[in-house]
Amino acid sequence: MTAQLDTALLVTVLAGGAIYLCLSRRFLRKLLGFLMLSNAANLVVLAMAGDPTGARAPTLHEGVDPATAVDPVPQALILTAIVIGFSVAAYLTVLLYRIYVDSGTATTPRLERIAGGSDGLDDGVIR
Amino acid sequence: MSVLVGLPIALPLGTALLALLFPRPSTARRFGVVAVLAFQLGFSVWLLETVMRQGPLVLALGGWAVPYGIVLVADTLSAIMLGLSSLTALACVLYGFAESLREHEHPLRVPLLLLLVAGIHLAFLTGDLFTLFVAFEVFLLASYGLMTLQMVATRTRRALPYVTINLVGSTLFLAACAFAYGLFGTLNLSEIAVRSAELVGDVRLDLLALLFFLVFGLKAGVFPLYYWLPVSYPALPTPVAAFFAGMLTKVGVYVLIRMFGTVLPAELGWLHGLVAWVAGLTMVIGVLGAVGQSRMRTILSYHIVSQVGYMVLAVGLFSPFSFAAAIFYVVHHIVVKASLFLVGGVVLRIHGTDRLDARGGLWTAAPILSIAFLLQALSLAGIPPLSGFWGKFLVIREGLSQGQWTLVLLSLVASVLTLVSMLKIWFGVFWSKQPEGVPLRLTPSSRRMTAAVCLLVLVSLGIGLGAERVFEVAEHAANETLDRAGYVQAVRAVNQGLKGGEGP
Repeated sequence: MTAQLDTALLVTVLAGGAIYLCLSRRFLRKLLGFLMLSNAANLVVLAMAGDPTGARAPTLHEGVDPATAVDPVPQALILTAIVIGFSVAAYLTVLLYRIYVDSGTATTPRLERIAGGSDGLDDGVIR
Repeated sequence: MSVLVGLPIALPLGTALLALLFPRPSTARRFGVVAVLAFQLGFSVWLLETVMRQGPLVLALGGWAVPYGIVLVADTLSAIMLGLSSLTALACVLYGFAESLREHEHPLRVPLLLLLVAGIHLAFLTGDLFTLFVAFEVFLLASYGLMTLQMVATRTRRALPYVTINLVGSTLFLAACAFAYGLFGTLNLSEIAVRSAELVGDVRLDLLALLFFLVFGLKAGVFPLYYWLPVSYPALPTPVAAFFAGMLTKVGVYVLIRMFGTVLPAELGWLHGLVAWVAGLTMVIGVLGAVGQSRMRTILSYHIVSQVGYMVLAVGLFSPFSFAAAIFYVVHHIVVKASLFLVGGVVLRIHGTDRLDARGGLWTAAPILSIAFLLQALSLAGIPPLSGFWGKFLVIREGLSQGQWTLVLLSLVASVLTLVSMLKIWFGVFWSKQPEGVPLRLTPSSRRMTAAVCLLVLVSLGIGLGAERVFEVAEHAANETLDRAGYVQAVRAVNQGLKGGEGP
């Protein structure tokens, strides 16, 4: 149990830093924060695979005790999660860039100021 | 026959891919999409009828035995949700086709909407926690795409709150999946139901249930995690906004019903109390937000938050009757809310704005549209004999019989304020005089759009007038949802049909 302590600490540091970055006003820091946050979640999944210290990869053959191998299921899950996280990060990057191009600013408070009184909801593209 | 359970996922997915192969918007493509959605609606009704008669249909994907493989489970609740999502998608697609000429249609809109539908259907059908996560990601990615497709430059910033809150929600969901696997050693919902019953009183189970409530409450838009919703929904193109308004938050409500009803043990009384109180606050805060707004679509968006409160309140009251009330409310709300957003789109088309103080005169110029709005608005506020009255009546009756006076009072206050803000829209947009010299843009397309709205209005009227029959179905679904042993048994029974083994 205590051997998982380092993983727990690492997740805490990653998630804490990620939240700090996400709360920042700058787009780039937000993006990095989300990347860190998804990595923190992936680490949580990995930690569920079992104690990694001294355990074997989950390939079983003659003469290997299954009790000494890590659980393969979370490793399959994490692979899916990484792929999904990657695609979402790609989308977020493009969205933030689009907002930067459209409004000419890369921080949230200035975004509000540029919008000013108009909420941009009138008479949109009518198709 | 259980292989047909996969059809509501495979059908929109396949159609989306086909639509991508033929990207040019044409009449044949439009016709094909409508035909597929109409078939899907018919199939969902058939599925509902079948599972009500025979019990849940279970499909073990790839022939893997139950706790190891992924299962799709279609029970009454899932079938109801499938039908609603097919109906809303059909109406929104028809409306979209009426709204825009073929040449102006974006080639990616229909495929993205179909992918969204496929993801939502996977979420309704899956019997596996991690597949639920994947389903959420599938439909969220499609919804991100739909949200920013053709967005004008002044609106792109409005997509940011939606995307960021859902990213945080997804990350938390992934972590919750990991904790569930660590705690239960399985991700299969029916096995989790078995093992969580053995862990009652364990603080880890309590924390995990709280985390689930946080994640799915965020998707449903409950207080205090709702602020993203009124910012982003009014900026969407109308057919997309109507589908989002109808279905997306209700996926969160569905998962809450499933989680608290079927998967987590019934002994989590403190959490049910918390859920009910959060719901009470959601109702009032949402409707207070609506009263202060001056745009039709923003008001309607705040009402989604408020109405989600009623459904979650019914979940929190936690009895077979309140679950039936929640399911009835979901049925009523999806249809009414989607049609109100579509009405908002027609108003926007005719007036060029949906500001309440700027224009008016629709009562004389477009009486059918006005009647459609009036019916749905009064239904939302809960005037008998429309569907919303029955939904509110059922929730409040259960609240009274449990002696939750404060919560009942909150819901009545929210109901009155709903009526106030609906009347505000009515007087602002429909009843007041159109200023001199400003023409109304009444076109053939706005009439076709009204026709698409009327489809949903008729269904909603049917729900109100046939409330007894709908409630019977909802009650059946609620009893089935709360029957953990029956669910587990139905899922495990699939192993007997598999080749070469009975499973554990």
